[in-house]
Amino acid sequence: MSALLALLAIALSGAGLVAVLFPSRDRALQAALAVALGLGCWSSAYAAVLLLFGPGARTAKDIALAAIGAVLLVVARDGAPAAVEDREPAPRWLWAFLAVACVVATALFIEHTLRFPDGGWDAWMVWNLRARFLARAGDGFRAAFSPHLLFLAHQDYPFLLPGLVAQGFLLRGAEAPWIPIFIAWLYGVLAVALTTYLLRWLRGGIWGALGGLSVAAMPCFPTFASNQQSDVPLAVYLLISVALLAGPRSRRSLLLAGFSAGLGAWTKNEGALYAACLAAALLWRERDLRAVAWFALGALPLAALFVGFKLGVAPPTDLAALSTRESVIAHALDLRRWGELVLLTLRRVVYFQDFALWAMAEVLVLVLFVRKQPGTVPGTALFLAVAAYAPIYVLQPHRLDWIYRTSADRIFIQLWPAAVVATLLHLARATAPARTRAST
Amino acid sequence: MTERAITAAVAVLAAVGLCRGVYFHLVSEPLHDEMRAPIDARYAALRALLPPSGEVGYVSDLPVAVRLDQDAGSLGTRLYLHAQYALAPLVLRYDDARAPLVIANLSDARRLAQIAQERGLSVVAVAGPGLAVLRPKASP
Repeated sequence: MSALLALLAIALSGAGLVAVLFPSRDRALQAALAVALGLGCWSSAYAAVLLLFGPGARTAKDIALAAIGAVLLVVARDGAPAAVEDREPAPRWLWAFLAVACVVATALFIEHTLRFPDGGWDAWMVWNLRARFLARAGDGFRAAFSPHLLFLAHQDYPFLLPGLVAQGFLLRGAEAPWIPIFIAWLYGVLAVALTTYLLRWLRGGIWGALGGLSVAAMPCFPTFASNQQSDVPLAVYLLISVALLAGPRSRRSLLLAGFSAGLGAWTKNEGALYAACLAAALLWRERDLRAVAWFALGALPLAALFVGFKLGVAPPTDLAALSTRESVIAHALDLRRWGELVLLTLRRVVYFQDFALWAMAEVLVLVLFVRKQPGTVPGTALFLAVAAYAPIYVLQPHRLDWIYRTSADRIFIQLWPAAVVATLLHLARATAPARTRAST
Repeated sequence: MTERAITAAVAVLAAVGLCRGVYFHLVSEPLHDEMRAPIDARYAALRALLPPSGEVGYVSDLPVAVRLDQDAGSLGTRLYLHAQYALAPLVLRYDDARAPLVIANLSDARRLAQIAQERGLSVVAVAGPGLAVLRPKASP
């Protein structure tokens, strides 16, 4: 009964949000959005209720979520569909290729999961550790944020993913290993599906298929998906936000983009940076304070949760807690450190094991082509995010090569689906006149 | 730049990416990387001997990274993190041998007696190779 109620809470809250804020005829896209946003609603509501009222109010929370979602669905019944650009279908061989890529990625996900049954290093050090604390500790759940834990447990991280896994454990009544594995697989599927559907919605089927292929055939993608960490979920929420800001603009799309960016912030600290970059890019490119305000309003519930958690529960992040004014100034003035960052980044671009030729191709397209195009909100936001990482890497207190080696690929995969959308939109725009000429 | 050229380029990139992924996961990794055992198996007996929550001390024969200049990927750090993962919501206080209960998590099980003596601890129970519950010896 509790599991059914939880499923209703996820499905109805997601579907209700999508119905109100993203009315469309594209049912596949709506369904994928509803799953992603419903999971986010379910986990963030769990966190809010847990921090405010303790662990006893989960069922009431699920009833409330399901009821709100049902009301939203009723309210949205007469909503007009969003504008949809004329679709350009992809050739069948391209869809077949995408299907093969998805099958291969799933096989690699399974292989990696069998090899690492507890997930990647950060899964047991941070994310599933947090889930176990939340599921096992009952009223003592605040032990998850104890300052006596090793700093490597990152007690300050927000907990959208652990909230999902912990609730799965509680509903199942046992810590079944398939629960975090299934959630990790689901977010992997959402990353590929939403890249495909959102690009199809924005520019047509061929661009959707190319986008999905660009994510599914990234060598490190199945690895990161199977690691049971928060990077792929964050990539999903950033992707939704970026794509909505690239599409037909309305108050509703801005609200939903802000909400998804807020879910990204509640998934991982980097998500707060991405949300800020999206708002800054919106202001920079469009000089529209109202648009920024609607975006911020959408993000507000999650921003409140994030700030409340940071101020009231979480210890300071290790990047701040372990820094001193002297270390920050010394690192800022250390030219070798800046040079080392450039070298590490150049080497990463040609890191074939994780990226094959994708990262090199992306850099070439950006330098040779996209740079000459008019700026867009998604492109500018991603550029700001990448640029912001330079001082973050240089000024942070850890050894630069160590933290770069352990984080750069994860940041890459967080940004990759959104970067694919932003890049393919540039390319689609550039080829549109040629198509028109050819057809006339 | 034409749509056809972009499609061809993405298809080539995808083919290379898929081949790389297949080679890494299905050829290279099985040859060079071992299958990991589930973490909980090692700590199941120890967990049964400990209170379900609260805090216990933690000692080891290997150092754990508690500062920035220490190796966060070391075996000692991994042992601590594995134990913390398996025993949560118990909080393991690293290097605290004065807590009412202390667990030893050793890479070399033969060093248990030596570690206990050095840290002024007596062994309450052994919970497997390199794993034990200890408590501080009464002050003289």
